[in-house]
Amino acid sequence: MKMSDKFNITRRRFIFGSALTFAGLASGFIFSEKALAELIITNDGDNKIMSFAPSIWVEITKENEVIVTIARSEIGQGVRTSFAMILADELDADWDLVSVRNAEGDSKYGNQSTGGSTSIRTFWQPLRLAGAQAKKMLITAASLIWGISESNCYAEKSFVYEKNGNRKLSYAELIDKALTLPVPPTDSVTLKKVSDFRLIGKTKWNFDEPDIVTGKAKYGSDYRVEGVKFAVILRSPYIHGSLISYDDTEAKKVKGVLGVYQINEGLAVVAENSWAALEGRNALKASWKNNSNFNSEDIRNAFIDKIGVLPNLPAITSKFIEGVYEVPFLAHATMEPMSAFAHFKDGKCEVWTGTQNPQTARSDVANALGVFQTNVRVNVLLSGGGFGRRHDNDYVVIAAKISKLSGHPILFFYTKEDDIKNDNYRPASIHAFKVGITANGTPSGWIQKVISQGDVSPHRPNYDIPNITNLSDSKSYGIRTGPWRSVDYTQNVFVNESLMDELANLAGKDPYHFRFDLTKDGRLKNVLKLVAEKSNWGSELPNGWGRGIAAFVGYGAYIAHVVEVSVSQSGKLKIHKVYAVVDPGFAINPGNIKNQIMGAAIDALSTALNTEITIKNGEIQQSGFHNFRWLTMEDVPDFDIDIINTSETPSGMGEVGFPSVTPALCNAIFDATGIRIRKLPIAQTSLISGTEKKSQLSNNVEFDAFPIPFDAAFKVTIKLKRWNGQKLDISIVDILGKKLSDTSLEFDGTSYKGEFNFPTIAAGAYYVLFTDGIDSYSFPIMKK
Amino acid sequence: MILNINNKNYEIDVDPDIPLLWVLRDILGLTGTKFGCGIGVCRSCTVLIDGNAEQSCLIPVRLIGSKKIITIEGLSEDGSHPLQKAWVEIGVSQCGYCQAGQIMTAEGLLRKKPNPGIEDINEAMSSNICRCGTYNKIRDAIILASKG
Repeated sequence: MKMSDKFNITRRRFIFGSALTFAGLASGFIFSEKALAELIITNDGDNKIMSFAPSIWVEITKENEVIVTIARSEIGQGVRTSFAMILADELDADWDLVSVRNAEGDSKYGNQSTGGSTSIRTFWQPLRLAGAQAKKMLITAASLIWGISESNCYAEKSFVYEKNGNRKLSYAELIDKALTLPVPPTDSVTLKKVSDFRLIGKTKWNFDEPDIVTGKAKYGSDYRVEGVKFAVILRSPYIHGSLISYDDTEAKKVKGVLGVYQINEGLAVVAENSWAALEGRNALKASWKNNSNFNSEDIRNAFIDKIGVLPNLPAITSKFIEGVYEVPFLAHATMEPMSAFAHFKDGKCEVWTGTQNPQTARSDVANALGVFQTNVRVNVLLSGGGFGRRHDNDYVVIAAKISKLSGHPILFFYTKEDDIKNDNYRPASIHAFKVGITANGTPSGWIQKVISQGDVSPHRPNYDIPNITNLSDSKSYGIRTGPWRSVDYTQNVFVNESLMDELANLAGKDPYHFRFDLTKDGRLKNVLKLVAEKSNWGSELPNGWGRGIAAFVGYGAYIAHVVEVSVSQSGKLKIHKVYAVVDPGFAINPGNIKNQIMGAAIDALSTALNTEITIKNGEIQQSGFHNFRWLTMEDVPDFDIDIINTSETPSGMGEVGFPSVTPALCNAIFDATGIRIRKLPIAQTSLISGTEKKSQLSNNVEFDAFPIPFDAAFKVTIKLKRWNGQKLDISIVDILGKKLSDTSLEFDGTSYKGEFNFPTIAAGAYYVLFTDGIDSYSFPIMKK
Repeated sequence: MILNINNKNYEIDVDPDIPLLWVLRDILGLTGTKFGCGIGVCRSCTVLIDGNAEQSCLIPVRLIGSKKIITIEGLSEDGSHPLQKAWVEIGVSQCGYCQAGQIMTAEGLLRKKPNPGIEDINEAMSSNICRCGTYNKIRDAIILASKG
């Protein structure tokens, strides 16, 4: 398959046939414009026909190339590959001759918002129909050329063949005839039977891989034109801050800086290259008024105040539990910081960027520049990760504004710090609950009240639970929130599937059987059953090990996870294995499904363990991957992923793999230690299980640290009862045992003393680990 | 100042403190090397300098002198390098943004240890972040390439 993006085809359009509409072809799929049956004939200006396009979704060239239009954004979920597979299969195109072209933001493509894992569900039927429609025209063309009936022709790998004959014509050779034909209505075409699929259902790896591994793939931040200038902005350090004054004298002296401009969002520095722009920004002097003098604790306290008194569980309840789950704000932290190219010239604006919604980018830019949308063109490049972040086009608008003010074509970019401190965060929430069981161990009732900053509503559990009361409230601090991979399933499934575990434990029942017996949904039962089988659920594990199970139903799919962990006596966690069984409906691209499930699980494990966004005096405290930490290779577990391929409608796979991983992990930790995680991230909780083990550990050693929890630094004293005179190695490790620093302490004749400086790590549980040449010891410390 | 990049000499007129990353991306248009964090934490910007995997966001060009720089574009243009082939064969990438840095870090390892064990790979790759979570496949691809 060739990866050649056809961005700038000059087109002359001729409209043939009658208007038809794709509306109603798939549930929930409505194009905003109706007349789509235009036959687009592309020629090179000399009236020499180059290609023809029976619909906006596909173009066939004289080189026998098939170009598929991709009207959703590639953010790593594989949409360019899957869409091409779907259309090419129905068209019977030769996969090696298929390439893709990203659609620009335009309402003629229907809803282009890449979110909610809707792309496959929305485009599955329309892309098949577009492929079948094009194929029908080519077959009709061949039958007319040969003077035989259409039923005596068939298509295969970009050729039409005569049945029981020797004749064949390539799709390219059929173009001249095909473009004289009316475009057949989509209800007149026949779709393939599943058994006739040649591409759909078989793994195709990422369409862009050959370009990624050679550095040719173009992301938003890679767009370059002659004369392009680079820009960054200096923003208020506060969530709500306003500019009091600034002085750009020094900034303008930086070599390569071309200008400083004030826009609503902050102070823009335009320069010859990115480095000069960043240096210019460093030299800017600005003072800001803090209009957001609050801390994370204030938000939490306000949430707690809003819980009030939960109603009572019904009288059939014999035992119950009540408590509170807490979930923090999260940044998206895409690998590629937000960036956009914009060039405003002669009243028109050309944009190239990675966005999850080029249509709203278009209207946002038009509004910001005060021009009609028809004067804005938004071209979509690859996104270095999306996770929901790129639904907000703030960075695109900023690029356009700076281009207008400076008169230059502008490549605007955020740094990672800009990104993390100015995100539209996954909302924080607390979930107060009361759940109970009857005398025979079945659920008696389920009461939950969610309080959030943002938009988090409690979800019903996926099981047959009687007497559910779901309540919600909110308290706004004006912190920008937005969709974040699997949206409010991330909080709700963590809570609900943890609560299912708490209920099973309360009833003295096995967490798998408890769930299995509480649903009549066959697809849910199937994924639970298979994941239990695959993970040898119920078999004995070594001491200190644990298993946790959880399931998720959403985005048209079903998934169940089992996570296997061990927790050492000193509280160190190792995640050994993740088992996943997914029922995606019909599996279009199985290899990519497994990639997505694995990636989403690592995303979920990372965030569950380590990440949170916190606020101090109105400032976001995190600034990069050093204090908003992701797992790396040495930490990731092994995977065992199975797909139950059903004949149901195919579903999107970008988000389904996330939600049930977090509770499966926490349930596994409970199984291993008896410690129930009700607050994320897990690193906030010490996993040392019980005082007995603690004293065993400290038999030979006295450890003292001050202050705990510490803020930026702490002092330690270590005294060994049995001292073998060897070297004492000391380091700080995280909850997974990953070394964050080494240091050496001074021996004063009786004990080791010293101070650790640690201003930059995130809040949470860490361990002071030391070895005396024979044994290792570790002690928990907490960072504020 | 002359930089040797992908076996070609480039004459550039820049502030000697500018990190190599921005020379590659903004001045020479070699955008395959990616900007991830700019502070040496994520390793998306990894290139080879005299055969060692280094973070181009941290190295001012004045320190490079006559050392030879290899970027992802210079590994092979046609994707024929064993690491590139392995990546394509087993389908590593999701968004793909970090992968140039992953591949160059892996190349740094393979040049020192042509047949690395799992522990060697984990250690060499332990600071490269992949936000899509492709680590298991990256490891598989490095093993595949080393056997290639």
